[in-house]
Amino acid sequence: MINTIAYGLTIGGILYIISIGLSLTFGTMRIVNFAHGLIYTIGAYLLITTLPIFKNNFIIGALFTVLAVIPISYVIERFIIRKLYGVSIDYAIIATYAVVLIGIDLIKWIWGASPIPLSDPIGIDITLFSVTIPLYRLMIIVLSLIIFVTLTIFFKKTMIGKIVIAALEDKDAVRSLGINVDKYFSYVFIIGSCLAALGGVLYAPITSVHPYMGMMVLLISFAVVLVGGLGNIKGTFVSAFILGLVMAITGRFWGPAAETMVFIVMGIVLIFKPIEV
Amino acid sequence: MLSVENLNVSYGHAKVLHDVSLKVSNGEMVFIAGRNGAGKTTLLKTIAGFLKPDTGSVIFEDKKINGMLPEKVAHLGIRYVFQDKRVFSNLTVKENLEIAAYPVKENIKDAIDKVIGIYPKIEKFLNMRAGSLSGGQRQILLIGRALIGKPKLLLIDEPTEGLAAGTINDILNVLVKMKGNISLVIVEQNLSVVGMLADRVYMMKEGKILKEMTEKDEITNKENLEKYL
Ligand SMILES: Nc1ncnc2c1ncn2[C@@H]1O[C@H](COP(=O)(O)OP(=O)(O)OP(=O)(O)O)[C@@H](O)[C@H]1O
Ligand SMILES: [Mg+2]
Repeated sequence: MINTIAYGLTIGGILYIISIGLSLTFGTMRIVNFAHGLIYTIGAYLLITTLPIFKNNFIIGALFTVLAVIPISYVIERFIIRKLYGVSIDYAIIATYAVVLIGIDLIKWIWGASPIPLSDPIGIDITLFSVTIPLYRLMIIVLSLIIFVTLTIFFKKTMIGKIVIAALEDKDAVRSLGINVDKYFSYVFIIGSCLAALGGVLYAPITSVHPYMGMMVLLISFAVVLVGGLGNIKGTFVSAFILGLVMAITGRFWGPAAETMVFIVMGIVLIFKPIEV
Repeated sequence: MLSVENLNVSYGHAKVLHDVSLKVSNGEMVFIAGRNGAGKTTLLKTIAGFLKPDTGSVIFEDKKINGMLPEKVAHLGIRYVFQDKRVFSNLTVKENLEIAAYPVKENIKDAIDKVIGIYPKIEKFLNMRAGSLSGGQRQILLIGRALIGKPKLLLIDEPTEGLAAGTINDILNVLVKMKGNISLVIVEQNLSVVGMLADRVYMMKEGKILKEMTEKDEITNKENLEKYL
């Protein structure tokens, strides 16, 4: 059971890393961004492609991947997302879903459709309090905590962070003070995309890399965001770990129900806590 | 310094402003009054760049500004204080001021001093969450925030709306301190306030300017103002 919890925390950590970007784009730009799942997939593919180049140094491969996503997400933000400001939310869904479909086809064309496995980059198990878990998974949990603390400080202490917090609440008031809010929103979008790619990188060794890997993760991420509150940095963190645990524990008793259970929990939460937009 | 000429503004197909014209001279305190739904907010939002007019123009210091983005309009020295009295409630009072000081590169100390200048009590609240302020304090924070960076024209939308009588006095004091130092366009339904402070009054009804008044005895006569409501 403790093993299951450790696994749940790993999933929670990855879910947090992926969902925070989705939550912030939702909260700031009011846009449902399906392309977020594609960035996650691209992250995983960039990693397996560049690993041999970097002599299988996972950290350098991960760093390269996260940086390589900056121009990709810049293009998506500048030429697609920015065109969707203020238009009806279904257009955003259709447009970003189109990006996903094109992206998946491109991936199949470049890398093929069959899943590509990747081995654990550390390959060491450690025993803590009589539980043996792969060190790699422990590192993921620690990394997600570091990212949470860093983002919290970023949004509390930096000017960019404060402007985004203010704009989450009242975008027009920020504009009326002479601040070009869209510029700050694109920073947030790019940071969120880099984290999505990092999520793909981190999850690749745990499952396998395939063109559709982003789709299921995206749906679960939506659940995390809805439970945690749109644009809520702390809420997303808590909800990611809770839903990660829900997945792991359900999966232990009945594998096929793991993901369904996430949506059941989401449904229950939404009954008691309506979405605040 | 500001001249609005034959402005026509619509929301979708619903035309809300019909040939509205007004002007503001340097240092003048101009009031706009009129019943709910007359189009006062629509007028201010159009000047501030949040709405684009169908026809007509907004000229600020000899420059046509209609069609400019709100953040550009702000850079020219116009600030709009919204009607809804929403502060950045998750930030502290000081951080609210920081956000205003940032785009105009004003030192935060100077910015704080400026707000203390119009409302000394704010010093005690600087590190409090802005969301915990009372309605009147919020309104003063909003006005103070808008004063940062030496703006030339302030547009304030119903500053005393929904406030208790005592609090309205605080707001009046703030407005009196600003009078003459900066040009102001204030939407206000409280005609005593209008009578006390206005240099020029526009009465609006159903999207039109019904009457413009500049004579002191016209403005201070409440019955006279009420005729145009
Ligand atoms: N976003 C909008 N979409 C459609 N119609 C609107 C919108 N905002 C305002 N209106 C309409 O335009 C008209 C003028 O509204 P406006 O808010 O400018 O009036 P106001 O004089 O500021 O009123 P109040 O004193 O209540 O603030 C009203 O009939 C209102 O219903
Ligand atoms: Mg109004």
